[in-house]
Amino acid sequence: MPYPPPPDHHLADLAARGLLLPEQVAAIAADAKRPFSVHYELRALLYLGITLLAGGLGVLVYQHIDSIGHGIIIAFITALMAACFAYAVRHRAPFTWGMAPKTSIGADYLLLLSCLLFVVLEGYLQYQYGLFGNRYGLATAVPALVFLPLAYWFDHRGVLAMGITALASWVGLTVAPLSVLTENSFWTDSIRTAAIALGLALMAAGFYSEHQGRKAHFAFTYLLLGSNLALASLSTVLLDGVLHERLLVGTGTALLMLGLCAGLFWYARRTHSYWFLVLAAVYAYFVATYLFVQFILLIGDGFIVVGGFLFFPASALAVVLFLVNLKKILHGSSEAAASSAPPSAR
Amino acid sequence: MPYQAYNPDWSFRLALRKKAARWQQQSLLSSTQLSTIELAYPLDYYRPAWPLRVGVFLFAWLGLSLGGSFSFLLVNESPFAAGLLYCLLSFGALELMIKQYRFYHCGADNALLYSGLGAAIALIFYVFYQVSHRYNDFSLGNGSLFFPLLLVLALLVVAVLRYADAFVTIAAFFILVLLVVIGSAQSALGLALLPFLVMGTAAACLALYRALARRVAGTALADYYATSLLTLKLLALLGIYFGGNYLIVREGNAALYHLPASQQIPFAPIFYAFTAGIPLLYVVLGLRRADRPTLLIGFLTLAFSLYTVRYYRSLLPPEVAATLAGLVLTVVAGALLRVLRPARFGLTSLPDDEPRHFNLENLIQAQTAHAPAAPAGGGFAFGGGQSGGGGATGHF
Repeated sequence: MPYPPPPDHHLADLAARGLLLPEQVAAIAADAKRPFSVHYELRALLYLGITLLAGGLGVLVYQHIDSIGHGIIIAFITALMAACFAYAVRHRAPFTWGMAPKTSIGADYLLLLSCLLFVVLEGYLQYQYGLFGNRYGLATAVPALVFLPLAYWFDHRGVLAMGITALASWVGLTVAPLSVLTENSFWTDSIRTAAIALGLALMAAGFYSEHQGRKAHFAFTYLLLGSNLALASLSTVLLDGVLHERLLVGTGTALLMLGLCAGLFWYARRTHSYWFLVLAAVYAYFVATYLFVQFILLIGDGFIVVGGFLFFPASALAVVLFLVNLKKILHGSSEAAASSAPPSAR
Repeated sequence: MPYQAYNPDWSFRLALRKKAARWQQQSLLSSTQLSTIELAYPLDYYRPAWPLRVGVFLFAWLGLSLGGSFSFLLVNESPFAAGLLYCLLSFGALELMIKQYRFYHCGADNALLYSGLGAAIALIFYVFYQVSHRYNDFSLGNGSLFFPLLLVLALLVVAVLRYADAFVTIAAFFILVLLVVIGSAQSALGLALLPFLVMGTAAACLALYRALARRVAGTALADYYATSLLTLKLLALLGIYFGGNYLIVREGNAALYHLPASQQIPFAPIFYAFTAGIPLLYVVLGLRRADRPTLLIGFLTLAFSLYTVRYYRSLLPPEVAATLAGLVLTVVAGALLRVLRPARFGLTSLPDDEPRHFNLENLIQAQTAHAPAAPAGGGFAFGGGQSGGGGATGHF
């Protein structure tokens, strides 16, 4: 039994209030009887089919690699990469320090695909022929050196993120010998310092591009990756300080983290970005908890239970209030005063 | 006092604005008209963008669960009094937040609702446990669990009717299925008929969905309960399928009778038919009735049916199967994208959100002489004027 078309009470309400022309109401009502669009369903099935086909063919090629030969596969990957790249170059918008206009959606994805194919090709050559030998640092430096300029040339944030990732792995491999991965001491001091330094450098690059208007929209990527890298590695320093009871190191790190959170807060207010505000709030909450625990431990054991019972619910409540009043915080207090906001305790 | 906790106008306006934005995308509406509509239907409640909702929910949840231990300290460590206090405080705060600060599914109210319901459910089980210790055995064969679970179900249904929360709807559905399983596990006959009982329960839920949807159609309550009703429908469709799916029945049979390895089940052909037929039925019904949720559930269950087949019979090596399936899918989907353009069999492969060939500009220019009056001023006098409504627009 087919459904009768449901009465559109929204349309009726709009018509009753006189917000629509009568012809429009009729047109909208008639539009509801149009054929059922299965556009996105068919597109999803098409993508699924292509993925299955590519995956299945990939495995088949891998199984019959001896009868096909490496040369042909390498040539195929190279040709595909070159074709994607050529298409992206043809549809490239002229360079600007601002945000370049999007000329073609396909070109965007094809540039990303060609960069991915570049990594695949490099990995293939290294695995099969040992192109870089044991100089793994070089193997990660090459993509970074290729992707970062490409990101600026094509104004592509996805490629920028790939370049930054390659840069991070290059820094990690240069600082620490590969043996740290096999031994059980991944978070050594040297790798930690390098991660903090790289994170700070990336954050500086983000603030620079935002402040100077040099690809200001890249600041999001720089800051997101950089701040997470720096703050996460600083958090491990903090935990390490707790384990080894190095109070001074811990407090210094905590203050540095609070400073970085303040920087993120500034950027969040400047760009009205909720992401960075939440990021800053989460890390600042972590640091505040650390400082509170250290403080309680300093004054003595008697306060531990009461302090714990009071602190966690109260601080969680404070964060909720912070998030609920975020709009006022983000847009400054002048607007908040103008709008008669709910009289919530701030 | 109205039965709904939130103002049904909020959901009505939100749904209306979403629809109007879509009509504008289809150029059935001019952008000036859209902004007039948005002025006439303000969103004066608090519901921020989703990352913030998640953050608010997590921190509210953290504070509430830690605050729960605090309530133990307050009432001298009597679990019953602590649970009751916590439950009452949660629901009291929830109602206050909705009334005072106009929270509308913003994370904090969800957390309060879940912690209040959790405390209430814990209380129910605690009371039954105090009466008799046989309520402590949480196994499917323990028939005495039936009554407390029935109370839990009643509580959850009342909560759904008042707060229209999707997760509570899911929980209520699963409690219902659990009740059916426990009830049928009490007799050998019930256990044998378990798949059909589960399918029947899900079918009854589908009928309930139909009745409720028809009942609220055309009112603001249709928007208020839209998410809950959709959840109920999806769960009912999935319940009918998984109740009769061969893999689930066979492996569930082995688990219920503690068999070392699953073996062929009685009446297997019926379950073969269910496994193959129900997804196809869903797809056909979804296409014929222009019912996208049913269509998508049909695709998902079809994929699970293919998995079921491959689980017991591997016809081809995986890579060959993937290549062939990919080839067939690509060709069929590509062909359909062409064949259904512009439209055939009541279906079209053109996207639905494209501009229509509707001469809006001319129409509006012709009508400027007697343009529609500005929205009536009455009806939006909210106490306390324009409230903060932080982030309700969803802009980042």
